[in-house]
Amino acid sequence: MNSFYNLSIISAEVKKCLKILLCYPMELVFWCIFPIFWAVPFIFQGNALVGGMESEAFSKLTGTTQFMPYILIGAVLNTYVLSALYGMSNSLREESYWGTLELILGSPCSKIPILLGKALNEAVTSTIFAVMQIFICVIIFGLDVAVNQILPIMLIVILLMLGLYGLSIALAGITIQIKQSHSLIHTIEYLFYLFSPVRYPVNINPWIRMVSLVIPLTYALTVVRGIMLLDKSLINLWQNVVILLAIDIGLIVLGYYIFFYIEKRARKSGIISTY
Amino acid sequence: MDNIIVSDLTKKFVKKGKRKLLRREKEDILAVDHISVKVKKGELFGLLGPNGAGKTTLVKCLATLLIPDEGTATIDGHDIITDPISVRKILGITTGGERTLYWKLSARDNLKYFASLYGLSSKDAEERIDYLLDIMDLKKKQHQRLEKYSTGMRQKVSIARAILHDPKILLLDEPTLGLDPSFSMFLRSFIKNDLNKKEGKTILLTTHYMDEADQLCDRIAFVDRGKLIVVDTSKNLKRNVSKNEALEIKCIGNIDKLENFNAHIKNKKDYTKIRILHENTEDIMDDVLKDVKERAKILSVNVTRPTLEDVFVHLTGSKLEDEYE
Repeated sequence: MNSFYNLSIISAEVKKCLKILLCYPMELVFWCIFPIFWAVPFIFQGNALVGGMESEAFSKLTGTTQFMPYILIGAVLNTYVLSALYGMSNSLREESYWGTLELILGSPCSKIPILLGKALNEAVTSTIFAVMQIFICVIIFGLDVAVNQILPIMLIVILLMLGLYGLSIALAGITIQIKQSHSLIHTIEYLFYLFSPVRYPVNINPWIRMVSLVIPLTYALTVVRGIMLLDKSLINLWQNVVILLAIDIGLIVLGYYIFFYIEKRARKSGIISTY
Repeated sequence: MDNIIVSDLTKKFVKKGKRKLLRREKEDILAVDHISVKVKKGELFGLLGPNGAGKTTLVKCLATLLIPDEGTATIDGHDIITDPISVRKILGITTGGERTLYWKLSARDNLKYFASLYGLSSKDAEERIDYLLDIMDLKKKQHQRLEKYSTGMRQKVSIARAILHDPKILLLDEPTLGLDPSFSMFLRSFIKNDLNKKEGKTILLTTHYMDEADQLCDRIAFVDRGKLIVVDTSKNLKRNVSKNEALEIKCIGNIDKLENFNAHIKNKKDYTKIRILHENTEDIMDDVLKDVKERAKILSVNVTRPTLEDVFVHLTGSKLEDEYE
């Protein structure tokens, strides 16, 4: 009964979030194309700087001469980061703004399935966005995706999402406390841009490389690019997969404790009731 | 048998003040000040007081949305601090404020979502939602988004959400606030006749409309500045005022005080209302009218029995800000 109850809450949460999302069709279009548009200027910039679409200097740092697919893969995977940070962390802020957070927290169910429902909703929508973006990359930029690469890439995306949702649950809790999400989310977003190999290899700077070691996106990008651009298998890249898994566990545990600590603190201070 | 037992419950909030160099001044606000009260099974109990009296804070403590600083309460035998999950299962709550539902979803989708949080099976939820939409007269517009509903219709959905899981006990925080008279009348009748009398639910209702409390509640507690002032039936509260008549004068003019009389004066948009409690209003009538005539144009003069509001002003010295229409 209990697990059925929890599953029905997850399902209700996903349905609710999707129905609300569908009320904003422009938002859907934006997320399907924005990350690619965001990456295109860097491709043109690279082209202008090296006088072509291939670079030997780039190859010394990354193992591949082609910077265009490198940047496009970074852009598509970064969608999951943006979606987790904006969607998930912001969702409790929105519940607070809508006046529904109190009613959710005042219901007798565990809050874990509600958070899982929100995470699952984000996973579904991010994947739809990512598929649309890959489709655009294949059609317009000729990005090469082999069928046998899809399964291992999906596995890495799932591992990346687990860690991101651990982080965003923690951020969701902090958002309840500080009552604003944008500055916090933007800060994390830009730290990810700066310290993980979304646009450029982190080997370019020793400090950036050092910080990138604690960011899950670094390992996910390394594995996905290794599979797609360097023809490596998951077995060749197992160390990255293990580290990604370890970071996931750490972030999920941290997210769980931060969320419930702040929820209790908020019930003591009365901050849940304020917008 | 008592369904709600509040024991010495206290809740403080910290208000941030001015910043001094690196430190910000902090001030403790005592929102609920050592309140103890009992609500009987099947009773419709009113918490009455002006805005900021502490009614909503008390309700939120009982609903386990706030953790009290001192004292506790039990709801049908379950402690709000040590057993909040059991409390939440048997409670239904409407919180004040217009936005407590998903405006982008329909009434039916809102109710289906909350039904899942309360563990109703899909079949039970559908049946219950059909029943509630029917009695709330919302069936025709059940698939319309709430953003297209009127305030009154949204409040009906809010009440339907609170009773979706058929709770034994209801906490209704200002249920008719901001509603037009016809919706208010419907909701008051529904609360009294259907929920309380027919279904036997224990209801704790907060309001700052004196007439609403007078009309609905079996017993009333006056709350002011976080303190419980008195608990009794409306009849007994009125009886306990030693002055048994109220002189009410409506006039146009700028009056904020009568020198020789203890008057309760309300300056409204179109007129000023003066009420004076006295054992025999005939004794003071001429002097009062003379005083008022010198400064204002009198519209009407009435002698009435003291109202709950008179009792409240008499006991607390505070005014209620809004008047029930």
